[in-house]
Amino acid sequence: MKLLSLRTTPLGLNTGIILIGCLLLIAFFGENLAPHDPNKMDLLRRLEGMSWTYPLGTDHLGRDVLSRLMSGTLLSLGAAVMTAVTILFIALPIGLISAMLGGWVNHLLMRITDIFLAFPMIIFSLVIIGFLGASLNSAIIGVALAWWPSLARLVHTLTTDALSKDFVLASRQCGISPIKLVIRHILPQILPPLFVVMSLEMASILLVLSSLSFLGIGAQPPEAEWGAMLNEARPFFTERPGLLLAPGLLISLAVMGFNLLGEGIRHKLDNRSPFRW
Amino acid sequence: MQTFILKRIATAIPTLLGMSMLGFFMVALTPGDPVEMELRRLGVIFTPDQVTALRQEYGLDQPIFKRYLDWLIRLLHLDMGHSIASGRSVLEEFKTHLPLTLILASLSLSLSILLSSLFGITAALTRSQILGSFVQFFSIFLVSIPSFWLALLLLFIFALSLEWISLLGSGAWYDLVLPVLTLSLGSAATMGRLIRDRILAAMSEDYIRLAITKGLSPALILRRHILKSILPPLVTNWAVTFGALLGGSVIVENIFNLPGLGQMALQAVFERDFSILQAYLLFMGLIFFVSNFIADLLNYWLTPHFREQNSSQGATE
Repeated sequence: MKLLSLRTTPLGLNTGIILIGCLLLIAFFGENLAPHDPNKMDLLRRLEGMSWTYPLGTDHLGRDVLSRLMSGTLLSLGAAVMTAVTILFIALPIGLISAMLGGWVNHLLMRITDIFLAFPMIIFSLVIIGFLGASLNSAIIGVALAWWPSLARLVHTLTTDALSKDFVLASRQCGISPIKLVIRHILPQILPPLFVVMSLEMASILLVLSSLSFLGIGAQPPEAEWGAMLNEARPFFTERPGLLLAPGLLISLAVMGFNLLGEGIRHKLDNRSPFRW
Repeated sequence: MQTFILKRIATAIPTLLGMSMLGFFMVALTPGDPVEMELRRLGVIFTPDQVTALRQEYGLDQPIFKRYLDWLIRLLHLDMGHSIASGRSVLEEFKTHLPLTLILASLSLSLSILLSSLFGITAALTRSQILGSFVQFFSIFLVSIPSFWLALLLLFIFALSLEWISLLGSGAWYDLVLPVLTLSLGSAATMGRLIRDRILAAMSEDYIRLAITKGLSPALILRRHILKSILPPLVTNWAVTFGALLGGSVIVENIFNLPGLGQMALQAVFERDFSILQAYLLFMGLIFFVSNFIADLLNYWLTPHFREQNSSQGATE
C-alpha cells in the first residue's frame, strides 16, 4: 500500500532529524548560549512581557524564561535518556533470559510482565513515586519500573526470532557458550530494532516525565526542567499565559521530533528487513 | 459461553493475585517502621516496650507471608484500612471520588469513538489524499501534545480569550466539557488513524474486491463486510483506551480541579498516604481487568470462531 503520508515520507523523517538535532545542540550548548543566568532572580522585574532583553519575558521570580528553557533542555532530555537506559537495563536481561531458557522461567517472567502490563503506566509510576517520595529520581525509577514489561516482551520476541536463525542453530550445535552466543549473534540482531523502538518510546517517556513534573511529583523547583517550569508558572496563568505556553510548546516539539524520527527510521527499516513493531 | 467466561476469570486470578502481592509488598517493604511513624505523627512520646506491644497488636511481628494472607482476607471483606490524611475508611474515600472519574472516562471514550469513526471512515472511504494526510498530521500532532498543555491551550482559548466559561468552574455539567475534550482529542486521533488503516487494509482483501465488482453500494459493503472484520480489534483497542483515559484523568482532574480518583491519588502521594495508594493500585488494576473482560465478551459475541482461538489471551495482543 503506497500512500503519501506525512509520517512516512522523508519530509517527516527530516523534520524529526532537524528538530532533535536543534534540541541536542541546545542541550549541549544552551548553558553557554543563554543570554542570562537562568537562576538569577530579579524581583523588580517579575512577570515581564516579551522585550529585547528578555525575549520570552521573565517568570514570577524575575528569571529569564528563555535562558531557563535553554539550560533546562539538558536536564529534560537527559532525564528521558536516563529513563530509557534504565528500562533497557531491566528489560534486556529479563527478555533474553526468558527467551533463551524457556520453560517455567519463561512462563513466570511472562506472567509477571502480564501483571505490570495490566496497569496504565502513569498510574503505576504515580504509586511508585508515592512510596519513594516526589523527586526527579523517583520519577525516573517510577517510569522505568512501569515501562520495562512491554520492552521485555519485545526483547523476548526478537530473541526468539534471532534464536531460530540457521546460523544461530549451527553455532549452538558447535557448542558455543551462551554468553558468547548472546554477544556475537543475538545482540547484533536485536539491538538495531530495539533502538528504533526506543527512539519512538523516547517521545512517550518525555511526555510522562514532563507530566509528572507538571503535577509536582517529578522534578522539583528550582530545577529548570520543562514540566517543573510549567508547574511553577501555574498560579500566574491568568496574568501571564505565555509563561505556560512556551515550555509546553518546547515539550510538544521535542515529543513530535522523537515521534517523527522513530516513525521515519521504522519505515526505512521496514522496507529492508521483515522486522515489524 | 459459560466455559468461556469461567476460563477467562480463572486465567485472571493469578494476575489479580499478583497485583495484590505487588500492592502489599510495596507497602510492607517501604523503609520505616509504620508503628513508630504513626506514633511520631501523633506526637506521642513512646518507649521501645510500647512499640513492641503495638507491633504485636497490629500483627507486625508475624512473618510477612502470614501478614499478606491476613491482609488479603481483610481485602476480600472490602476492608482496605484507613486514610491517614482524612481518617475516613479507604472504601468511603473511593465511594466519594470514583463516580466523577468513571463519568469522565466514559464520556471521553464515547466522544473518542464518535470522532475517530467519523474521521477514520471518511478518510478511508473518500480515499482523499488531503483528508488522509490531514488525519495523519492531526494524529501525530495530537499524540505529541502533552495533555496538560492541550488543557491549558483550551483554557487559554475558551476561558481567557473568549471568556465563554469561568476558570474556576461553576459546578454545572458543562464544567466537564473541556476535560472531556482534552482527554478524547488525543485518543480520537490515534483511534481514527487505526480505523482508517484497518479499513484500507480490509478493502484490499479479495472478498471485498468481489463485493465491489458485484456492484454493492459502498454503504452496504462497509456495514456488512468491513465493519464486521474490523470491529473486534477496535473493541479491544477501546478497552485499552479506557484504561489509558483513567490514567490520563490524573492530569486532567488536576488541571480542572475535579475531585476524582486521580486527585485523590495525587493528594495521597503528597501526604504519603500508603493505604490509599495501595487501594488505588488494586482498584485500577481491577477496573482495567473488567474493561478488558467486557471487550472480550463483546468480541466473543461478535465473532463465532473466537471461542476456539481465544482461551486465555485477548487484551494484550
